[in-house]
Amino acid sequence: MEKRKIDMIYSLIVGTFVLGLSIICWLKPADDISATERRELTQFPKVSAETILDGSFMEKFETYALDQFPMRETFRSVKANIQKYVLGQSDNKGIYLAEGHLSQMDASISDVAIERSVNKLSSVYNTYLKDTDTNVYLSIIPDKNYFLAKENGYLVYDYGELYDKVTDELSQMSYIEIRDLLAIEDYYRTDTHWKQECIVDVAEYLVDSMVTGHNNSKSDYEMITLETPFYGVYYGQAALSVEPDTLTYLNSDVLENCLVYDHENQRGIPVYDLNKAIGRDGYEMYLSGSLSVITVENPNASTDKELVLFRDSFGSSIAPLMVEDYAKITLLDIRYLNENMIGEFVEFDSQDVLFLYSTSVLNNESSFR
Amino acid sequence: MLFSSIPFLFYFLPCVLIAYYLAPKSAKTKVLLLASLLFYGWGEPIYVFLMLGTILMVYLLGLGIEKYRDGIGEKLCFWAAVIVSLGLLAFFKYADFFLINVNRFTGASFPLLKIALPIGISFYTFQVLSYIIDVYRGKVAVQKSFVTLATYITMFPQLIAGPIVRYADVERQLIDRETHFSKIAYGIRRFILGLGKKVLIANILGEFCTHFRASEEKTLVFYWAYAIAVSLQIYFDFSGYSDMAIGLGSMLGFQFMENFNYPFISKSITEFWRRWHMSLGTWFRDYVYIPLGGSRCSLPRNLFNVFVVWMLTGFWHGAEWNFIAWGLYFGILLIIEKLFLLKHIEKKRFVGHVYVLFVTLISFVIFDAESLSLAFSHIMEMFDVGGTPFTSVETMYYLESYGFILLMAIVGATPLPKVMVEKVKENTNIRRVVLVFEPIVMVVLLLVVTAYLVDGSFNPFLYFRF
Repeated sequence: MEKRKIDMIYSLIVGTFVLGLSIICWLKPADDISATERRELTQFPKVSAETILDGSFMEKFETYALDQFPMRETFRSVKANIQKYVLGQSDNKGIYLAEGHLSQMDASISDVAIERSVNKLSSVYNTYLKDTDTNVYLSIIPDKNYFLAKENGYLVYDYGELYDKVTDELSQMSYIEIRDLLAIEDYYRTDTHWKQECIVDVAEYLVDSMVTGHNNSKSDYEMITLETPFYGVYYGQAALSVEPDTLTYLNSDVLENCLVYDHENQRGIPVYDLNKAIGRDGYEMYLSGSLSVITVENPNASTDKELVLFRDSFGSSIAPLMVEDYAKITLLDIRYLNENMIGEFVEFDSQDVLFLYSTSVLNNESSFR
Repeated sequence: MLFSSIPFLFYFLPCVLIAYYLAPKSAKTKVLLLASLLFYGWGEPIYVFLMLGTILMVYLLGLGIEKYRDGIGEKLCFWAAVIVSLGLLAFFKYADFFLINVNRFTGASFPLLKIALPIGISFYTFQVLSYIIDVYRGKVAVQKSFVTLATYITMFPQLIAGPIVRYADVERQLIDRETHFSKIAYGIRRFILGLGKKVLIANILGEFCTHFRASEEKTLVFYWAYAIAVSLQIYFDFSGYSDMAIGLGSMLGFQFMENFNYPFISKSITEFWRRWHMSLGTWFRDYVYIPLGGSRCSLPRNLFNVFVVWMLTGFWHGAEWNFIAWGLYFGILLIIEKLFLLKHIEKKRFVGHVYVLFVTLISFVIFDAESLSLAFSHIMEMFDVGGTPFTSVETMYYLESYGFILLMAIVGATPLPKVMVEKVKENTNIRRVVLVFEPIVMVVLLLVVTAYLVDGSFNPFLYFRF
């Protein structure tokens, strides 16, 4: 074939491909959200002389073009797979796949983050708990890297050092060690959190450590698994071919009768919100997710003891498993609740107080600002 | 707007090419000018007026040179154009650098201007100067069409990152050029390869360098791996961009000069600079070095000329001391080679290669540093002056993770892949297979690049600051 014809065919093949994608880009209706990334997608920006002259239209259009690109998820998946399986790169923007689990690499301890976390918890202790009859406990939940990273050749910080730093600085609290009770199987494969059905023993151990004469004869939980797939927080970021998780929750007569109140929005809420299970973040089904102040009252409790749980998102799934031993549990998320307002919700006298935080929150500079 | 961006690839470029190919021959230049102004205005909505003002000034002063030829007016117009062009460059790019240093050395406290640098001003100022100098020298005829001159200066393929296209090289093409399938096919091939170099190699090496900078436990191995990675990143970034510019030019019927020719295979720094950023090197040679007297003068004067040219070359790259040091570093090496080293290393090819790789790695550490003191400290660490640990788990992790890309980049920086493809094509049957599969490979490459662009926000362009 003469060169001219070859060049023509060549130009037409590549040109048709680019033009085809271009036409789809122009004509494709904009999507509202990315389910896997759990975020709203950028919409076509406002056009005006002002937005053009200050460059904000162009800036937003570039984000729009990326967010609304046709078959965006497929392209992201192609990239992730090439990066891992062709170029042999170990992680994708810090997200790695090992033993079927996705996780976010965290290579170093942030002294700033630890100092902020410790200062925040100390400040709460000194302001509200120091001169009371409360029993104050601290427990730290290891993130998935504790079980995955080192064994699979990924960068990870020294957990012993982090635990020592935090427990030394918060020695006024009685520390409860739970690392030995956990394994990688207790966490979702695509998410950062632990699975409620796997942490019954952790809940019991925590209660055991806090409640003297604690009765171990618990009612059996009914295990209910939802059919809706659960795409964890790492699923969208990794864009790799990993099976989604499923969400399971544990129910009991005691839990059915519990009264849960969301003080932030001043409304009653269910222990398990099944509508949230099919929402942007399925894990929010446990006590409706990231709410700053929740109380769970157990009208059938055989005790009048109360627990105040200073917690992050891990606390949402474990708190229902501790409710049998308390008449009331107050969950406080001081990442979203101003420290000065704690006194409006809890009067501290003789409650059990548990600070339960994951390493990923303690080692994050933006957790406690 | 970057070439390696979704808005450029799938919104801007297809529309421009369709309009350009459908336009009658007499209107193609106008279409190109409009597209170029839109391209520049997209990134610099205000500075597009500065650029248009500069073009109008050069256009009128060029006509003035022609009108007052051999009179005082000719010189006045010429020097006015040179001073205003360089003045604008100095004001926007170097004013704060001078103020910072005046404040530092005199204890004064002049407030900084903090003016945003107009994208591509270094490139288009040099194009403007090449035009006005060549008109003044009588090498080219003055351009009487404002549209044609504006098209030359604003042409989007090379507007923001070169190559520095001289007016004399494209004078004829600006008026009469052909766009046929062989040029389009060559342009597509060249553009996609350049895009691949930028997105799949330079950007990924850039990630490696980011990990190095963020590391709190830098080791000897990490320092050297970074030196290799950053050198290759700059090479693939810039040469990839030049490939894209040449490819786009070809699709539009132009033929731009080559800008890179496997610089890392050089046996001397003299040769390296004949292969690295060739359009800048030849620009300085023709418009600075030779007018200063070049090599046809006394040895001290010649050395002075080399010194001035390389200081300016460094300074052109950025208003920081490390860029000046980078330029002078090469200037000193070139003087040493000129005085005695060149004749020795030319006889020993292997020694020459090792020497070039070594000194260029050091040079890019200087180039990439945030300050001269940081550059010096990096170089010291590379030679274990501070008792740097040899390696660490972190170093080995990133080396393993980026090892394949580093290897690909090293091989890709040599002519080996090109030679292999040429060799394979010598077989008629294989050549036919290659002919069939090449467009498919290019589409796949474009798909992979698109996947990386869609996924990533990590898409910096190093030469924007110049």
